[in-house]
Amino acid sequence: MGAKKGIVELSLDAEILREKLAGLLHWERRKRREQIAAEICCYALLAALLAMPLYPLLAEPVQRWFIPVFLAAALAPFLWLRQRWRRSDTARAVARVDKTLILEERALTAWEILYRNETAAPALLVVKEAGEKLKTFDPRAQFARQWSWQSRLILPLLALWSGLLWFDIDGPSRGGALLVAPSTLAQKLREYSKDLQQKAEMEGLRESLQVGRELEKVAQRGIDTKTADDRFKTELAGMSKKLDAVGKSAAESSSFLAAESQQSLKDLKTELETAQDFLNLSNAPEGSRELSQSWLDRLAAMPQLKRQIDKDSQVGRHMGRNEVKSFFEKMEKQVTGELDRRTVLDAQQFLEQLMKQGQGEKGQSQMQAAGKGEEELAGDGQKEKGMGNLAGKEPGRKEEAEAILSQSQSGAPTRLKGLLGEGQSGTLVLKGKPSAATSEVLPQEVIASYRRQAEAELNTESVPAALKEAIKKYFLSLDAEPNKK
Amino acid sequence: MEAVAEIEQRMALARRSFDELKAEMARVIVGHEELIEQVFIALICGGHCLLEGVPGLGKTLMVRSLGEILSLSFSRIQFTPDLMPADITGTNVLTDDPSGRKVFEFQRGPVFAHIVLADEINRATPKTQSALLEAMQEQSVTVGGKAHRLEHPFMVLATQNPIEMEGTYPLPEAQVDRFFFKLVLLYPNREELSRIADLTTAAPRAVLREVLDGGGIHRMRQWVRDVPLADLVKDYAVRLVLATHPQQGPGKAAVTSAQKFVLYGSSPRGLQSLILAAKARALLAGRPNVSFEDIRFMIPPSLRHRLILNLEADADGIGAEKILAELIEQIPEVP
Repeated sequence: MGAKKGIVELSLDAEILREKLAGLLHWERRKRREQIAAEICCYALLAALLAMPLYPLLAEPVQRWFIPVFLAAALAPFLWLRQRWRRSDTARAVARVDKTLILEERALTAWEILYRNETAAPALLVVKEAGEKLKTFDPRAQFARQWSWQSRLILPLLALWSGLLWFDIDGPSRGGALLVAPSTLAQKLREYSKDLQQKAEMEGLRESLQVGRELEKVAQRGIDTKTADDRFKTELAGMSKKLDAVGKSAAESSSFLAAESQQSLKDLKTELETAQDFLNLSNAPEGSRELSQSWLDRLAAMPQLKRQIDKDSQVGRHMGRNEVKSFFEKMEKQVTGELDRRTVLDAQQFLEQLMKQGQGEKGQSQMQAAGKGEEELAGDGQKEKGMGNLAGKEPGRKEEAEAILSQSQSGAPTRLKGLLGEGQSGTLVLKGKPSAATSEVLPQEVIASYRRQAEAELNTESVPAALKEAIKKYFLSLDAEPNKK
Repeated sequence: MEAVAEIEQRMALARRSFDELKAEMARVIVGHEELIEQVFIALICGGHCLLEGVPGLGKTLMVRSLGEILSLSFSRIQFTPDLMPADITGTNVLTDDPSGRKVFEFQRGPVFAHIVLADEINRATPKTQSALLEAMQEQSVTVGGKAHRLEHPFMVLATQNPIEMEGTYPLPEAQVDRFFFKLVLLYPNREELSRIADLTTAAPRAVLREVLDGGGIHRMRQWVRDVPLADLVKDYAVRLVLATHPQQGPGKAAVTSAQKFVLYGSSPRGLQSLILAAKARALLAGRPNVSFEDIRFMIPPSLRHRLILNLEADADGIGAEKILAELIEQIPEVP
């Protein structure tokens, strides 16, 4: 009976020991698997972060979000193989139990005895003692999970990587990528159209605003359908023709302002607005045919407006308030129309540049310049910023200058449309191509172009105010002389 | 199971016997607790010990007391240069039988005792040394073509004087390797000296009680071999023994002291000695299995006399103890 009881007790101890050791090994294996998974995630995220400069090379932007998954799949076999659970790890785990609980290698010896199914009495005694000592052993409590540096780094890396992708830091538009995919024509056109619309809204240019919207539609269509640049140029050519027609039809209605410089027109527009405001607030009674002296004095301080009034012989001091008002409104309409027309022509020039230059950086300056505000290139033509050019010579490459020359109709007066802007000196772009018939160049147009050029230079360079006025008067006198002749 | 209970009793008896032996020895021997334990371990492992110490440290008293406590016969052989092999083994002597006839009768030598103290073994000639060593190895002596079995249990404790080197015949390394342990007797400290004076100059020598007998020793020798040894622990002992060998490749710099100062490492006898001694220690400590600590504890006595050092070690004053200590630190328990 005692022997039977002893056998039962021993079997119980062996079962307890088996259960405890199995639990220990299960827990240790689980921790090993978690550690391997953590290492895979950490290293995959690190690799994904390091590979960010290469993201723009992907065909689809959405593929970026799956890169860590691909990297993890590539790393997983290697790490699993290298750190797989081995028999030596089992021995090490059991030895650790002995060390921690100060069992003097009872657990280790008992584990081997159970593994070999030994039945000798001394071996069974080891199993018995080990079983007794491990009865209350809890591997999870004794050997709690310890987070490695790879585990701690996963969430911060994931947040960093996700944040960078979310805000498109890897994208070329932010300038963060080392390898930037070149902008397509459609993308450039879209940017330009947005700038154009912004400018048109600020200055109240309806035609330009409409043109900007149409250009944006065309550009967006090209981006959405991923149209190749070569094919997109066909659409650009169509738009260019349309804009050319718009520009020509607008030219007929504001011919007398065509000779004015861009800055003059803007000054004139500002003065018109000021004059209208002042007119609304003047003391002259409604319907009065006489203008007050104060208003006339005010007019003297608006040189552009005064000059236009002086040109028009019908306008005099005996005009009534309503008449003056309608005159101003008419003039404002004409000034806005001229500005609008010139902006449309600039847009047409930009389209032609896009068609001729294609992708690359050469179109950047023109692209930025045409849709901008104050320091823009007025009218048609091109001038690159910062290039030292002699007057009369067009900046840029000669072959580009020849290429952008458009053919004018034979017999029609050729209008010189000098495009002035930043740079050491102004340039003239001859857009008229000589034809077989005799062509006439009106001297007024030549003088006007030079005057515009001079005014633009006066606006940009540091010249004393007294000299500015003298130069302006000089060109005005030149303008009057041919008429007298 | 009854067998398990018997094992438990066995272990308890071994531990109790050892504790009693230590207590009895402490009545006549001051200090040397570790030495006594190691001598007893060597006895229950069936090995022989080489004791090294200056004269007057109580070597003879210790061995004689051990014999008394264990009810074992004791003999002491003082080795001198003129000692002959027959003086150790015995010889045939012409005597008269009861009928008056002259017959040769074998007269046993001092080696026929359970515990033999071979004092200053390095003073005798190699021929005489080999006679004893043969007896140690074969557990018998052959005289006149006839083999005479020695007593069981049989243990030799040979001593060497580390001071006197003049006119001595150092044991060859191959012969030193036959000893189970090499034990070093240290000079007693102040308190121990004081107690020695009290024991030997004042009170009469205590009468020792018998704790164990030859049969008990024989049974304990069997119990030692039954102590389970885990493969990982055995592997630890193997790695330690292998580490005593200078295994660096040609042209490579030595990494450990063993590689730098050892000419020849331990033989397989060193591993046998190490493992048996560890088992014995576990048994005497009441543990059912051998632990890593048992292995580490038994390394110095088992291996210190099995390392042959080179001249560089002599020049730098590096001994086997230091090399073994470094190996214990460097070799991990679990690879």
